[in-house]
Amino acid sequence: MAATGRVMPSGNAAPMRIWALRVAFLAVALAAWEAISASGLLFRDVVPSLAAIGAALARVLGTPDFYANLAVTAQEIGAAVVIGGLCGLATGILLGSNRFLSQAFESLLLYLGPTPKIIFFPVMIMWFGVGPGSKIAMGVASCFFPIAISTAAGMRQIDAVLIRVGRSFRASPWQMIRCIYLPAMREPIVTGLRLGLGVAIIGTLLAETKLSNKGLGYLVIQAYALFDMPRMYALLILLFVLSIGLNALLGRFSRVTRGISA
Amino acid sequence: MAEALLDVRNITKRFATSDGGILAVDDVSFSVAPGEFVSIIGPSGCGKSTLFNIIGGLTGDYEGRVAVEGATVVGTHPAIGMVFQEESTFPWRTVEENVAFPLEIGGMAKAARMERAAHFIALVGLTGFERRYPAELSGGMRQRVAIARTLASEPRILLMDEPFAALDEQTRLLLGDKVLQIQQTLKQTTLLITHNLTEAVQLSDRVLVMTYRPGRLKRSVTIDLPHPRDSEVVSSEAFGHYVAQIWQDLREEASRGIEDAESRVRLQGARR
Amino acid sequence: MTMRALARTRNGARAVGIATTVAAIAVVEGLIRGGAINAYIVPLPTQILAALPRIIAEEHVLHRFWQTAQEVLWASLLLAAFGIALGALLYRFRLLRQAFEAWVGALAAAPIVLMYPLFLVIFGRSTTTIVMIGFAAGLAPVILKTAEGLSGTRKVLIDVGRSFKLSPAQQFRKVLLPAALPSVFVGLRLGLIFAMINIVGVEFLINFGGLGQLINELAERYDLPGTYGAILFVILASVVFFDLTARIERWLRPVE
Repeated sequence: MAATGRVMPSGNAAPMRIWALRVAFLAVALAAWEAISASGLLFRDVVPSLAAIGAALARVLGTPDFYANLAVTAQEIGAAVVIGGLCGLATGILLGSNRFLSQAFESLLLYLGPTPKIIFFPVMIMWFGVGPGSKIAMGVASCFFPIAISTAAGMRQIDAVLIRVGRSFRASPWQMIRCIYLPAMREPIVTGLRLGLGVAIIGTLLAETKLSNKGLGYLVIQAYALFDMPRMYALLILLFVLSIGLNALLGRFSRVTRGISA
Repeated sequence: MAEALLDVRNITKRFATSDGGILAVDDVSFSVAPGEFVSIIGPSGCGKSTLFNIIGGLTGDYEGRVAVEGATVVGTHPAIGMVFQEESTFPWRTVEENVAFPLEIGGMAKAARMERAAHFIALVGLTGFERRYPAELSGGMRQRVAIARTLASEPRILLMDEPFAALDEQTRLLLGDKVLQIQQTLKQTTLLITHNLTEAVQLSDRVLVMTYRPGRLKRSVTIDLPHPRDSEVVSSEAFGHYVAQIWQDLREEASRGIEDAESRVRLQGARR
Repeated sequence: MTMRALARTRNGARAVGIATTVAAIAVVEGLIRGGAINAYIVPLPTQILAALPRIIAEEHVLHRFWQTAQEVLWASLLLAAFGIALGALLYRFRLLRQAFEAWVGALAAAPIVLMYPLFLVIFGRSTTTIVMIGFAAGLAPVILKTAEGLSGTRKVLIDVGRSFKLSPAQQFRKVLLPAALPSVFVGLRLGLIFAMINIVGVEFLINFGGLGQLINELAERYDLPGTYGAILFVILASVVFFDLTARIERWLRPVE
């Protein structure tokens, strides 16, 4: 039954009802928060009032200090993703294209991947010092694995006939990568990048909370040390908004590329 | 003439779409006598799957009437057993657990239903595979399990929607043999939806040809080939005549279908 | 069998992989001894190996391993209870799913573990904090995979149930639930892995708990071979955990 129009999906609630539910949920959550805050049930300031958090947010966003630290973190994450991404891509392409190498070394990737990378931080400090170097190294260690694994898997899923086409035209290895592998792997690469960005953010920021005097992670742990709870909440909210927003952006980008390649 | 077991009367089905609506099936009427094997054949897009879902009771909201032995049927009915086109075996159940499913629902005790299931498993020729999981079987074997499962519910009417669509031609012919054998043994009233001409003529007593959308019954062809039949019949002259005759009607409808698809693509390209 | 033919087999390749790794370690050993790499930054691999028995004995590694394992266990119980229940809820009420599934998805990508200072304030420097972070970090995949598994039952299987006139309860028990189980297990495994990673990470960060804390302690003591050794031990533990959960998942769903 092929239709020219789209069949009305049955049971799809109107967008109004969906948004009404979301707003209601948020309203209830915020009201509950304010109630707990005002009741004094929990230790003072563990649940600051919404007004206090709002004020802290304004203060944070109002001072250049925040943006300076944001820039530091952003640079660290950026560098980590570029380095980790390139290494991950290269490794993934290498492992994905060669069966022998894959069987020899890919299990290393698969097993080292799901380990807590932050435990390597003392080693990173020794190797790269207490400055941004060790934070970038943490980010690289975090994002290298998902990108490499995703790319290797993506290589193997490339339609074999496309590779044969490239070989039949005697494309050089670099041409193969540029013209066949990378375009064919757009989707797994973007997926890997999304995941990699997510864990790079986590790795870098955690490192900053552990040992740093700059960056957003440092700001958070500083707020903790000073027991400035409204400020900590404000910073955490901003952090979450930024990282979820970045992830959503990448998601939109991946949908656009998917539409082209079909 | 024997009283009809299945009577399908004036079935009309419309689908609401964002740009107007689609008339999928238009005033289709026919009946199936007890023990008869009837095939409905038509090009893609002729509404035969819609018809399958309506008769089986999975699709509502249509005009017309479906009756079994004179009594109107609304919704799914134990007298009508369905075999689907896609993979429909439960992957988490063994072959015998799959086949015993309708008996389990009916409340039969475990030992009894396993024994009964074994009977139907033998009927489709899968004895020895009772404890295997569907993932271990070939596509053709899995469809046989699905058929055995439906047969185990002992329906008055067996309704099948292109059950062999995913199989290669040779497997089809042999499975078709098997189905025909079973049908003759059980005197099972069967309604088969298919787009495969050879299959329709090979298996049926009567072939109903449907038009391209909106689906109407174009012609009813009685297949007067001798019983018992097997796949050898495809090489007989009479077989060729029937195929040629039905192909005349079918070709016209299939062409309309292709033209329609092409014009739709052109339209989409113009919109971009 | 020639070397080339041997290398072509799967085990041959694996052996080459292991051999290469060992060779690389040997090269590092040589470089350190030769002075090319500073021994104060990278201790001799042989030293690290020698430190392992010491760590096991003196630092009560087994006890710490059990501590971490308990935290993971608690987190997994919470994950199973809440994750599956919430996922089933999302499946059951379509409006809920349409409204909130995207939010849960966003949560899965969010750096939840960064809230650990907050948890520290709320729960103090205790096991509860660690378990709660593990739970929070692993929750999203469990919810999503449960809802996905239930909703993603192939339509034809639901149709089979309808064609046999199953009641809604029968449909859920005999068709939806078994069909969803593989997804649920995948989600649980994912959640468990996220939980484990974050639990060990937070142990390290707040210097409390089992294995993660051990690494932090050894690092602060500047016991280099010990630190590297402990890291190795954690890697080993996480590999075993990863493999074990994979095996359990495969065992629980024999068909696919």
